[in-house]
Amino acid sequence: MIRIEKLEKIYKTEEIETTALNDINLHVKEGEFVSIMGPSGCGKSTLLNVMGLLDKPEKGSYHFMDTELLGLNDRERANFRKRNMGFVFQNFNLIDELTVFENIELPLIYNKIATSERKRLVNEIIERMNIVNRSGHFPQQLSGGQQQRVAVARALVTKPKLVLADEPTGNLDSSHGNEVMELLCELNEAGTTIVMVTHSSHDASFSNRIINLKDGHVISEKMNKGRNEELI
Amino acid sequence: MFRLNLKIALRNLWKNKAYTLINMGGLAIGLASCMVLLMYVAYEWSFDKQFKNNHKTYVVYNLANASGRIFSWAWTPGDMAPDVEQSIPGVAYASHSSYPEDRLISYGQRNFKKSGVFADPSFLKILDYKFVKGNPDKVLKGVNTIILTETMARNLFGDEDPINKTVKLDNAEVLKVEAIIEDIPKNNSIRFDYLMPWALNVKVNPWMKTNGYEGNFCLTLIQLQDNNYFERANAQIKGIYKQHKKDSNSEAIMHPLSKWHLYSNFENGKSVGGRIDQIKIFFILAFCILLIACVNFMNLSTARSEKRGKEVGVRKTIGSSRKSLIGQFLLESLLLALMGMLVAFVLLEISLPYFDELLDVNLSINYSDWRFWSALTGLTLITGFIAGSYPAFYLSSFEPVKVLKGATIVGNSSLSVRRVLVVFQFVFATCLIICTTVIYQQLSYIKNKPIGYQRAGLIEMPIQGNFKAPEKLNTLKDLLIKSGAVSSVTSFSRGLNEDGNNTFSVEWPGKNLKDETLFNFRFAGLDFVKTIGTDMISGREFLSSSDSSNAIINESAAKIMGLKNPVGTMINSQGTPLNIIGVMRDFVIESPYYRARPMIVYHHMREVNVIIARLNPAMNVSNAIGKIDEIIKTLNPEYPVGRKFVNDGFEQKFQNEKLLRTLSNWFGGFAVFISCLGLLGLALFMAEQRKKEISIRKVLGASTTNILTLLNRDFIRLVVIANLIAFPLAYIIVNKWLSAYEYRINISILPFVIAAVLSLLIAILTVSVQSVKVAKSNPIDALKYE
Repeated sequence: MIRIEKLEKIYKTEEIETTALNDINLHVKEGEFVSIMGPSGCGKSTLLNVMGLLDKPEKGSYHFMDTELLGLNDRERANFRKRNMGFVFQNFNLIDELTVFENIELPLIYNKIATSERKRLVNEIIERMNIVNRSGHFPQQLSGGQQQRVAVARALVTKPKLVLADEPTGNLDSSHGNEVMELLCELNEAGTTIVMVTHSSHDASFSNRIINLKDGHVISEKMNKGRNEELI
Repeated sequence: MFRLNLKIALRNLWKNKAYTLINMGGLAIGLASCMVLLMYVAYEWSFDKQFKNNHKTYVVYNLANASGRIFSWAWTPGDMAPDVEQSIPGVAYASHSSYPEDRLISYGQRNFKKSGVFADPSFLKILDYKFVKGNPDKVLKGVNTIILTETMARNLFGDEDPINKTVKLDNAEVLKVEAIIEDIPKNNSIRFDYLMPWALNVKVNPWMKTNGYEGNFCLTLIQLQDNNYFERANAQIKGIYKQHKKDSNSEAIMHPLSKWHLYSNFENGKSVGGRIDQIKIFFILAFCILLIACVNFMNLSTARSEKRGKEVGVRKTIGSSRKSLIGQFLLESLLLALMGMLVAFVLLEISLPYFDELLDVNLSINYSDWRFWSALTGLTLITGFIAGSYPAFYLSSFEPVKVLKGATIVGNSSLSVRRVLVVFQFVFATCLIICTTVIYQQLSYIKNKPIGYQRAGLIEMPIQGNFKAPEKLNTLKDLLIKSGAVSSVTSFSRGLNEDGNNTFSVEWPGKNLKDETLFNFRFAGLDFVKTIGTDMISGREFLSSSDSSNAIINESAAKIMGLKNPVGTMINSQGTPLNIIGVMRDFVIESPYYRARPMIVYHHMREVNVIIARLNPAMNVSNAIGKIDEIIKTLNPEYPVGRKFVNDGFEQKFQNEKLLRTLSNWFGGFAVFISCLGLLGLALFMAEQRKKEISIRKVLGASTTNILTLLNRDFIRLVVIANLIAFPLAYIIVNKWLSAYEYRINISILPFVIAAVLSLLIAILTVSVQSVKVAKSNPIDALKYE
């Protein structure tokens, strides 16, 4: 589904150039659950942002379902993003002024889904995420785990082909963290492709494949046959 | 989408009540100020425009060439209107009329001194007054008839039907009421309480019939069939004076009626504006104040961008386009503008009666007028758009990756835009402070400048009814002095504050033939100099009726005539030889801003029209007034007393400047206040943003004073820059304003010092309200939570 080739991303400040991604080649198949790991500053978040069309690389190519995405302008990128991708962030990034229901509804509105259909989709996902009794609350009124569920719900409500998660458990305690990871696994089993950036090898153990990054290079790739079995 | 955006907007406004209040308050005051000023401008603009054919109606101006200068008046000869109507093609109507003048109108026991106009039937064709009773086509055709306004009719007749009843004019002429018209609105250049046929004027003043083009004593109005005729008609009317009087130095021009009120100043025969200059100032002021309020909004919105940044990031990630974000932020500012407008509306309704009284106008909101609603909607939309545009474009430009990662997004560019905006606000505020101070200085300078006589304690009354007989006037004089209410009494041909009555035809020994100086002429009774409290430079004043072939001239006249020993010189004024017996100190009759015009004073008791008396300082004023009124009432029971203080009339001369002072005072104050609101909001934000920094500094040992200096320094620098920009700007403005006055103050450093101190003080106080709180707070509170 995703074919990234010879990707290069350079950050420039006034005096220094930093190469964040250097000659990255990466393939993700449909239905895969891929973890990206590596020390701070290795470029894993940058890679995720590039995959999510939030950042533009200098060189290379990025094919998504046989479409080259790197030549797109801002509006085309936004359009592509809202149709095909969902995001989950470490710090949830819910809009404080909107209720749980409204937060989840927002991407549907941007996708111009009719009101009745929106209602149905949101209610469906709220039920699935087990947050029915929270739908009228504002984000500040929820615990971290609940907030992240809302964020996941928001990422999934448009039924995206790809979910990008940036340290989804980073701000959660271990029990809430496990809940979120189990949720992602369920999604993956239901057919959603997931790419996740994480620090935690525990979290990474839930995925099919782990990619290790260092200084902007892919240094290793490990398959993970059967989720909790030994790595090959 | 719209509903959701609206929801976010409302929740955001509610969550940040302080900002909302500051923004809305600023916008409300800005909008209200803007609307009051615009309504005032519209009111001045509406003058004389309620007549159906105002656009093709013209006032004839007389341009008189004298010693190379051209004097312009809308006073024309009586014969001009019929001549114009007959000889100039394209003229639909031409009318002559008198200028409004107060006369006594009585019905039974009810006496009123009200203002009346003599006019011929075409006057009503040109100006279509609304008739309540009577037929407009049949009026003003007789001699002893009268048309009353509704209020005048009610005052005279109460509930009776006035038609065909008779009233008395000046206790002499009996006039039949033939029609009632609606009251003349305040925004009319020609205002009167009743209208009488021109024929009656000629009957009372037979000389008018044969005067030809000698005297200019009427207002001539011309209405064209359509404006295509204007160029030709105007060219033809130019020479009308010379056609009828070979040696005339006058030319006539047509000045549009709709411009009469605002463009009444002429310089060398060219229209050079007038009130319009002031109106322009108010118009600009209106929008500047609104702009200042908008700037507040921009500043606070961008200052808070850090908070909104996350929302922008999330929305963009989820798929919002930039356009839809811009739409959302604009919606928010429109919402705020709408709320501001609602508050402004309330403020407006509360303050309008006050401004009406202050400015002596009649401003009111006409709710059924579509122009009002469209102006209102337009103003709200413009405000919302201007206020929201910069924040919308700025906020929507954030890159999601950066804001979501918590990178600092408040870049230097937005900070400097904010600084520029604050500087702009304070430049405007400082300019207004300087201008207001200079207006104050100029007004008080002119008011305290000696005017050549002692105006305090002087009263004037018209010579009317019984007092027209010289013996009665003498009786009055004796009784007044005997009563102890006044210390001396004299008479004059016009009020001390009234202009008019001037002539070019003055001859003196050694006069240059080409010299055509305009002289004021007046008639004065005995004790004139003593009563008004001026003095003689040389010679003496009138002592007895034998002085009727003698004259007194003023200093300016003596200077212009260039006489070494004026006393004893024979001059000739308007064909009368006169012997100068004295030179009087110049005193102000016309404008206190200009040098007194040369004046010749004669002594003819039948020409005087006003009694002038000096109150006895030994008696208290209200007692004295009571006694005077009582004496006048017994001697002249049929007329209202009509007593006025000279001082009040003098104050009238400052009306324009007072208006300017009042408005610049109020709206300058508002501008300063709105700017302060903005500053307060910004300080509120900065303090919040720098909480952690301040706490760390405190932990490291900074004192409250250190922190205060730190927080205030930025703002003070901005205000100082604003002052530096404002000074030359304000100097240019006040210099231009002052240059219109012959007597004017020198611009001193004082207004600038006042403005600098005031703006700095206000800024420091405003900012300190917030920064003191932060500087004194417990540092741990801010550091504990990350």
